[in-house]
Amino acid sequence: MPEALTPGLRRWTVLAALACLLPLLPLVPGGVAVLAMVLGLIGLVSRRPWPAWLRALLLFCLVGYVLASHGFRLGRDTGCALLACLLAIKPLETRKLRDAHSLLGFALFAPFAAFLQDQGPLSMGLAVPAVALVLVVLGLLAEGRDSAAPILARARLRGIAFTLLMALPLALAGFWLFPRLASPLWGMPENALGRGGLSERMTPDQWIDLFADDAPVLRARFEGQEPARRELYWRAQVLARFDGRSWERGLRPEDRTPQVRSLLPPLQYRITLEPTERRYLVTLDVPLTSPDDGRLRVDGTAVVPVPISRLTDYEALSAPGGSIIDPPTDAERLELLSLPPGLNPRTHALARQWRDEVGDDDIALVSRALQWIERDFSYSLHAPPAGRHAVDEFLFDSRIGFCQHFSSSFAVLMRAAGIPSRVVIGYVGGYRNPIGGYWIVRSMDAHAWTEVWLEGRGWVRVDPTAAVRPERVLDTVQDLARRDALLPPDALLPLRNLADWVRRGWNDFFLGFNAERQAGLLRPFGVDRASALQLASAFAIGAALALALTLWLMLRGRRPPPDPVLVAWRRFDRRLARAGLARRAWEAPTSFGQRAASVFPGQAETLQSLTSRYARHRYAPGGLGAAEQARLIAELEAFRPGRGKA
Amino acid sequence: MTPAPDLVERISERLSALPLVRPRREEALPIRVDRRRVYVLPTGFGLFLGVMLLAMLVGGLNYNNNPALLLAFLLVAVAHNSLVRSHLLLSGMRLRALHAEPVHAGQPLRLRLAFEAQGRHERPGLELRLGSAHARFDLAPGERREVSLSCPTARRGWMRPGRIRMSTIRPLGLARAWCWLQPDVRLLVYPAPEADLVPLPDAGGEGAARRSRSSGEQPDHLRDYRPGDAMRQIAWKSSARNQRLLVREYEASAQRELELDWFSLTGLPYEARIRRLTRWVIEAEREGRRYRLTLPRQRIGPGRGPEHRHACLRALALMPDA
Repeated sequence: MPEALTPGLRRWTVLAALACLLPLLPLVPGGVAVLAMVLGLIGLVSRRPWPAWLRALLLFCLVGYVLASHGFRLGRDTGCALLACLLAIKPLETRKLRDAHSLLGFALFAPFAAFLQDQGPLSMGLAVPAVALVLVVLGLLAEGRDSAAPILARARLRGIAFTLLMALPLALAGFWLFPRLASPLWGMPENALGRGGLSERMTPDQWIDLFADDAPVLRARFEGQEPARRELYWRAQVLARFDGRSWERGLRPEDRTPQVRSLLPPLQYRITLEPTERRYLVTLDVPLTSPDDGRLRVDGTAVVPVPISRLTDYEALSAPGGSIIDPPTDAERLELLSLPPGLNPRTHALARQWRDEVGDDDIALVSRALQWIERDFSYSLHAPPAGRHAVDEFLFDSRIGFCQHFSSSFAVLMRAAGIPSRVVIGYVGGYRNPIGGYWIVRSMDAHAWTEVWLEGRGWVRVDPTAAVRPERVLDTVQDLARRDALLPPDALLPLRNLADWVRRGWNDFFLGFNAERQAGLLRPFGVDRASALQLASAFAIGAALALALTLWLMLRGRRPPPDPVLVAWRRFDRRLARAGLARRAWEAPTSFGQRAASVFPGQAETLQSLTSRYARHRYAPGGLGAAEQARLIAELEAFRPGRGKA
Repeated sequence: MTPAPDLVERISERLSALPLVRPRREEALPIRVDRRRVYVLPTGFGLFLGVMLLAMLVGGLNYNNNPALLLAFLLVAVAHNSLVRSHLLLSGMRLRALHAEPVHAGQPLRLRLAFEAQGRHERPGLELRLGSAHARFDLAPGERREVSLSCPTARRGWMRPGRIRMSTIRPLGLARAWCWLQPDVRLLVYPAPEADLVPLPDAGGEGAARRSRSSGEQPDHLRDYRPGDAMRQIAWKSSARNQRLLVREYEASAQRELELDWFSLTGLPYEARIRRLTRWVIEAEREGRRYRLTLPRQRIGPGRGPEHRHACLRALALMPDA
């Protein structure tokens, strides 16, 4: 019963499956990608199926390899890699129509799996032709003959374009109007690539990779006034616990909006945050209200219930230069002052000495430390590796480093002097895209600064890195980027601006669409926040309209090509009319022919023959044969009134 | 090379017993296939893809992953449209005529079905199935096409072709659309001839009496060729002279009539008589002789030629069952 595939059909089937594999390849480990591609190509050219035991062995080895390369964790990424391998092996046994169908069915799952990981234009660009190719091959399989040659014939391409266009109304109705889930049914995949996100643990020296990454982290647009670039401190996480080497989140802060004192008017802005696979939201320092779907904590950070694995869009309000005035609780205070015992003795000694000199004046102590940094310290991404007393070594020996070293050491110094302090990590600055007027913050803008608690003033932001004198800034992120780039960084700037603007539009319009925005879709119709029932009926109406449009387009069909003889006759008619002999509306071809023959006696015979043959073609039962039709067309086209043989 | 029926074809067979399925009785030709009698069900592959698409939709909704959702909705729409297009491939078809040259029972009967289509669609990949017979054809807009299906015959008499399924899995193989054609047509099946060659009953009849008288060389009588005349009767030389085909008619052969008499075969059972007479009609015609068939309550002939032969075989085919 199973029908065998012809070699041509088999080749196209495997090719379509490999095309579907392509979007998945950049997202799986390199080794798996290369293996999958090689296996797929072998499957494409191999003439006879591999023995079952060999395939089983291969499958076993591949699954083992994939699991090992993902550390034996099952999850989205492992699943994707496994899917890629299975898709690559399957062609080796594809011989029958049934195999071809199941191969193509699974292949359609590959672009879907790719989208779960990456929603950028590359995946999209690879997926669309792959899906179109699968549809073409499905059509070929339904035809059931070996059509290797005419696959890319224009008619077929037109056919697939027609199919996709026809599907668009219904697909778009489903996309915009099908009720979305406000919260997921099951959890987000856990072990995703930790792209771009800032870890909840900060160890000096750890951010070098981050500084080399120019992937966008967020895009922000301000409503109304925009702050200056150096005022842009993007707050992500607050780290309060120090173990001598790394900073971590401390006691869980209360879930309530902090009280903020600020002299400047608040800023309103909208942020589109790229997926971080972490729970924090980035806000401008210091946030006043909670973003739409997050909770604001008393330490000035905003969190969401589940890790952010897709583009997230929110509005926020911040007070630039403000300070949180909620005093820390006793337990927090203890943590904010605690340092691991026995480490960094020189720092402790210096702090004690300064405290003795300045007395109770915390502000004087802070400014003294900043002056010291301005005087003696340098900035460089190439800091010497730290030993056991990392802060001592930085403050007294190397005196060179970057924001992580500065903020960490400064906070330790303050704690040693009895001032509660903590490290804040986030981003600083950003790039303002003149096209579209919005800010892009990239991974390489990552930054760490310090906050100190000053009685009477609250939490005050102190950025010790910014205290370094400009001439002592030696080796920066920009240098890193310049060294890696082939072209000078400004060469392609307009192009990059434009590309990012397009990407932002894509993000905004397409990727950011969710239940929230869907509920607002009916606003033009006077429904402010659509309920599930209203959305369902909107979907029903939209789908019905789309269906009606589709059916109308399909039923209309295509206009059949006009009769070529008729076309030639009309031109013949027009030529005679130009020569002064217009056919009257009621005149039959033969009588017209006779009248024409009397006007052009030199061509009488030709005219009569042409008109009578045309009449026979149109009106006689059976008409003319194909060859005669062709001859009639040629003669009608060749005829010129008044120029015939005399 | 008949492909085995797939899942949907088997299901459609089952469903056709339901009283709702059209047509409920045989219909007069021409039969127009309108939308109310076209049925569509997904094929096994269609179901498989449906499950995949459902998984994609749920996954896309869960993660609110817009490219994945758009892909899923696009494929759902493509699948849905392919169902509609399968339907449209069939509706608007017309079965104009159905006929078949009679054959003897046991030989395959070649049904010739003349189709035409309304509308402006190409209609590729149409399949016809009747029992184990299977045919594929395409139909261009405005085209009229004759498709032949050979179906086995078992017994003499009128045969009704029964339900013919016209179906298609185009354009994507996701669904099979089908409709039933049940034309009200009777097709004649001649009786099967007796397998052994039995000598013609030369004795008896007027022919035998005349033959003794005309055994001498009677002058030839030439007449115009008529279709069905035996090749060896053609007078080639005279034909060449007269520029038209002439047939030599011997007085003797013209006169020597055969009497194929039902009642002379008293020793045989009922059906065996019919088979014997059938064989004799065939043989007599092959030898180019005039013959008369005598059956209970009717006599045919004497005569010769295709029409006479058909009349005789038809009478034999339609003999009431014993």
